[in-house]
Amino acid sequence: MAQNPGFDQLRKILLEQDREEREELAKKLSELDDQLNSRDKLELRVDPILNDYEQHLKEKFSYLFGPQITESISKQIKDSQDEVVEVLYPIIGRMIKKYITNEIQKLSEKVDQQMELAFSWEGWKIRIKAWFTGTPQKELMISKLIEPKIEEIFVIERDSGIVMGTFSRKESVDQDMVAGMLTAIKAFVEDAFTKEKQELESIDYENYKIVLKSFKSFFIAVVTSGGMSMAFRDKLDDQLIDFADKVLKNARSESDESEEDQLSGRLAEFFNEFENGDK
Amino acid sequence: MAISKKVILVGHFGVGKTSLIRRFVHQKFSDDYLTTIGVKIDKKVLQVDDMEVTLIIWDIAGETNQAKIPKSYQLGAHGVLYVFDITRPSTYQNLHEQLDYLKGVLPNAPVEIIANKKDLISEEKQEEVLNEIALEGIRTSSAKTGESVEEIFEALAKAMVS
Ligand SMILES: Nc1nc2c(ncn2[C@@H]2O[C@H](COP(=O)(O)OP(=O)(O)OP(=O)(O)O)[C@@H](O)[C@H]2O)c(=O)[nH]1
Ligand SMILES: [Mg+2]
Repeated sequence: MAQNPGFDQLRKILLEQDREEREELAKKLSELDDQLNSRDKLELRVDPILNDYEQHLKEKFSYLFGPQITESISKQIKDSQDEVVEVLYPIIGRMIKKYITNEIQKLSEKVDQQMELAFSWEGWKIRIKAWFTGTPQKELMISKLIEPKIEEIFVIERDSGIVMGTFSRKESVDQDMVAGMLTAIKAFVEDAFTKEKQELESIDYENYKIVLKSFKSFFIAVVTSGGMSMAFRDKLDDQLIDFADKVLKNARSESDESEEDQLSGRLAEFFNEFENGDK
Repeated sequence: MAISKKVILVGHFGVGKTSLIRRFVHQKFSDDYLTTIGVKIDKKVLQVDDMEVTLIIWDIAGETNQAKIPKSYQLGAHGVLYVFDITRPSTYQNLHEQLDYLKGVLPNAPVEIIANKKDLISEEKQEEVLNEIALEGIRTSSAKTGESVEEIFEALAKAMVS
């Protein structure tokens, strides 16, 4: 079959274009290849995208992965409850134990008082007296209980047992010695029961109860007399923490007084507030 | 100016720690031996130059090995008297090791080393023992006669406030 010259012509045109396109394509391909295989060039292109994405991830991380993470953590906790309990038990246990004993003591004290007064001859006497005198029964009851009282307060440096400040109703004992002995007793008791990692909290001595409150570098010992009630103890606890917070942290103020005198002055203030404040 | 310092007396059993304190604080001595249980606190005020130094003295129960004593008794001490009995080698045979241990617990506290009961042996014998130990600055004392007792506490007080 003879070649049609027109057809030839057409083929030439088409192929020409085809070849040009192929060449262009090949060039592009080699460029691309170059870009892909040369790290620098690739980075130049990809980095902005990655950066954007990284930013995006950062911003949306909790939104994107939060649920899965939470789920996987809670699953791990569920699967290893024993281990978790092991870790948390000492901390939580101590907190709960303390809280519950406190509450139970408070409750039992209340019940005791009520019961004793309700069923005792004393209770009847009060009731009768209240009828006759017209004084509210409650007040008479309260006056019956021996009010707990602060006798002395010591702020003591933790390890050395050196007195940092004191307040005393009456100058009775050698405060340096008492502070030293309290520190030694505390050290002994805490050393003897190291397993529990508990701090010695109070010492009963005849009619006195010495309440101890430990802070990082010092502890406060409050000598109290009278029937120590849980409510009193609670109040004392709270106020002491407040006191330590407020006063001791900015104790080093500009003043000519020695630190011990300053602190003792603050203790006297604390004492007055405690006595005369909200009852 | 007034300042308070915690001083601990440590060493083996029966070397005379309690007796040294009794002598220093109360100017008394007794031949009876009543071993100290735990710790006993005493106090004496000394004048060091223009400073009134209150020594809070911790008389700690004797122990052959300091590491066995509750650390909190030692912690916070500003000065240490390490006492041994110059007549009993067992009370100073582990001296170096014990001093190292105390240095570890109280790196900044000055330590005075006391060879007590000097009244029981001759000068020559004392020299012999001190040469054997080969440590600088050991002070000999007698709680019984009171010899050097005051000086020892004064030296420690000085070292603590300087
Ligand atoms: N001759 C003589 N006897 C002394 C001297 N110092 C102490 N003693 C006696 O040694 C014995 C023990 O003395 P303490 O002072 O109780 O010894 P300690 O080091 O406190 O002993 P512990 O409390 O058990 O560690 C007592 O019988 C004292 O009388 C001294 O300087 N000379
Ligand atoms: Mg003793």
